[in-house]
Amino acid sequence: MTVLSDIGHLLLTADLWHAALAAAVLLLLPALGGVISERSGVVNIAMEGMMLTGAFFAVAADLILHDPWLSALVAMVAGGLMALIHAVVSIRFRADQIVSGIAINIFATGITVFLINRFYGLQDVGHLPPSELLPNLQIPLLDQIPFLGRVLFQQNVIVYVALILLLLVHVLLFRTRLGLRIRAVGEHPEAADTAGINVYRLRYGAVISSGLLSGLSGAFLAIGISNTFVPNMTDGRGYIALAAMIFGKWTPFGAFIACLIFGLGQAIYDNNSIIHVSQYLLSMLPYILTLVVLAGVVGRSQPPAADGIPYAPGTE
Amino acid sequence: MAASSTAAAGRPAPPLAASLRRAGRAVAVPAGSVVFAFLMGAVIVAVTGGNPFAAYQALICGGFGLLCSGGENAGLQVSNTIVFLTPLIMAGVAVALPFRAGLFNIGAEGQLIVGAIACTTVGIHFAAAPAPVLLPAVLLAGMAAGAAWAGIVGVLKALTGAHEVVTTIMLNYIAQWLLRFLIIGGPLQLHNGFSVSSPIGAGAHLSTLLPHDDKLIVFGLPASVYRVHVGLLIALLAAGTYAFLLWRSSFGYEVRAVGQSQKAARYAGMSVRRTIILTMLISGAFAGLAGAVQIAAVDHNLTDKYFSDTTGFDAIAVALLGLGTATGIVFAAILFGALHGGGAVMQSDAGISGNLVYVLQALILFSIAANFLRTLKLRLPAVGRAAGTPAAEAPAGALAGESATALADDEGLA
Repeated sequence: MTVLSDIGHLLLTADLWHAALAAAVLLLLPALGGVISERSGVVNIAMEGMMLTGAFFAVAADLILHDPWLSALVAMVAGGLMALIHAVVSIRFRADQIVSGIAINIFATGITVFLINRFYGLQDVGHLPPSELLPNLQIPLLDQIPFLGRVLFQQNVIVYVALILLLLVHVLLFRTRLGLRIRAVGEHPEAADTAGINVYRLRYGAVISSGLLSGLSGAFLAIGISNTFVPNMTDGRGYIALAAMIFGKWTPFGAFIACLIFGLGQAIYDNNSIIHVSQYLLSMLPYILTLVVLAGVVGRSQPPAADGIPYAPGTE
Repeated sequence: MAASSTAAAGRPAPPLAASLRRAGRAVAVPAGSVVFAFLMGAVIVAVTGGNPFAAYQALICGGFGLLCSGGENAGLQVSNTIVFLTPLIMAGVAVALPFRAGLFNIGAEGQLIVGAIACTTVGIHFAAAPAPVLLPAVLLAGMAAGAAWAGIVGVLKALTGAHEVVTTIMLNYIAQWLLRFLIIGGPLQLHNGFSVSSPIGAGAHLSTLLPHDDKLIVFGLPASVYRVHVGLLIALLAAGTYAFLLWRSSFGYEVRAVGQSQKAARYAGMSVRRTIILTMLISGAFAGLAGAVQIAAVDHNLTDKYFSDTTGFDAIAVALLGLGTATGIVFAAILFGALHGGGAVMQSDAGISGNLVYVLQALILFSIAANFLRTLKLRLPAVGRAAGTPAAEAPAGALAGESATALADDEGLA
């Protein structure tokens, strides 16, 4: 009982929601990428690898350029290039998209540590000074609003970017012609093709977008929240993002709500001194919740109809 | 496909030549993938300022004990490779069997972890039990745990159509966090501050193949340094069991039928759901056995080494490269066992990160999945492009097809 009331008190503190939102955004960016990619019909379980690559190149670039903005851009390009490999292999060569995704993740784990050993000695990449990290941004006046100001307007710059992107992706997918086409390609590529839509071009674009977004998330992790790169630092976040995408039924806002739930769980754990549950048990929660959703306990979650099927014109 | 092309040519080839040609074609794709991966890997090493020849020389030394320049003992390197490849065979089977039913088990890692956990738990709790009882008990516990873990996937797939790729990913992470919970501050932890479990009882130890004798000299070293263990025989037995199940049992027939076409299997009176669940249970048992053998023969307790274990993911490459056949899996496991054995030597002798091994593995996966060679050949105008969907031949291709919708039909019939 006291545990519940203590959590209740915790839920009334702005700091908790502040932390929850930041944690959610880290997952939201790759989750949005996953939504775009899978809506176009390309299964993407490679967000983990794209994020990890982005994190590495963000730090590597920042150590040379001393500019977090350019470094975030480099991270996006790195994530985008990884996505391009996934796209070429699964669209051009019509490979199994799950094998390709697994390969991307293994490749990212291997190549980042390989490059560290090659260029930075054994394990330590080096740490960045605070002035070279992605900054927190206080929005003038708005940050003075009680409670909401702390939660919404004293965040890292990437949090604002991500929330704007959330809106943009939603509008893009459900309110524009381009979005309609992306969804058509993911549901029924033959029909879309017949209607004159270029299936391949849209799928390439969608997959590469997922890499750009995942790369940005990697940058947020490495040069926003942290100040260095350590091997495998994404630690399954790309997969939690995948879970959020499914949990949110392949919609941007659904994914965001899932990310918030996962982020809130993390924040409650980090900020309380009452619950003596092992953090490791808590870490299982996102995955268990997603299994429950998949089991159909909380409504069915159905992927786009052509998700995972390579498009080969003229074979049917 | 080979048969139809010879028939079209109008002159029947002698059976031996035809079967040799067929075998050659079967091996061409995986062999080509490996060559492609090593060429790309060499480019990556060269571009980053390393010497690819030195890197691969060290890799071959570490993997097979050949071409060594750093005074490595050949026998010891081969022994290490065998220790690496032993769990890969069992986990490879755990991935290959579901492939045959059109299911993609990327959860072998999680199933292996819970297998190791169950084996350790039983091995600790009944540490005093005699070996004839305890050893089978820990191995069976591992198999049961792996089967249960994969069984969840099978049941969810059969009843709700939940995609096995997603559920296995979730269960992999749940297993990983469970492992951390158990040995970091949890019930299996040996001492505070160390992320290791208590050791299993001596009766649960799976012995090494060579006697534990310092006086017996084998390949210039005392026999006790070689870690090759009885698990190798268990792994080969597992591969044999897989081949038998698949080709000689009615269950295997159903598995293959379901993998080819769920609809056809249903019309033939088979229960698709039952086959899916049974396939996952057996698959999980193989992966759980891999984890249990690793504990019983090599580690004797759970350690933080298992946090970054990748056997279950390597097994995907093993199953694909081995084209889903028992023989192929054994050969592919030898390759990946050698890569992992060689990684350490590559680091020490050539100064190239052992993580290059993962890069090579990813490249092999890319090329075998994309089947670069064949796809490119299809583009040549002389061959034409009328050759069906590229995915149809690879075992993995089956998973894209019928899933939830087909199962819904099943519901209607039942």
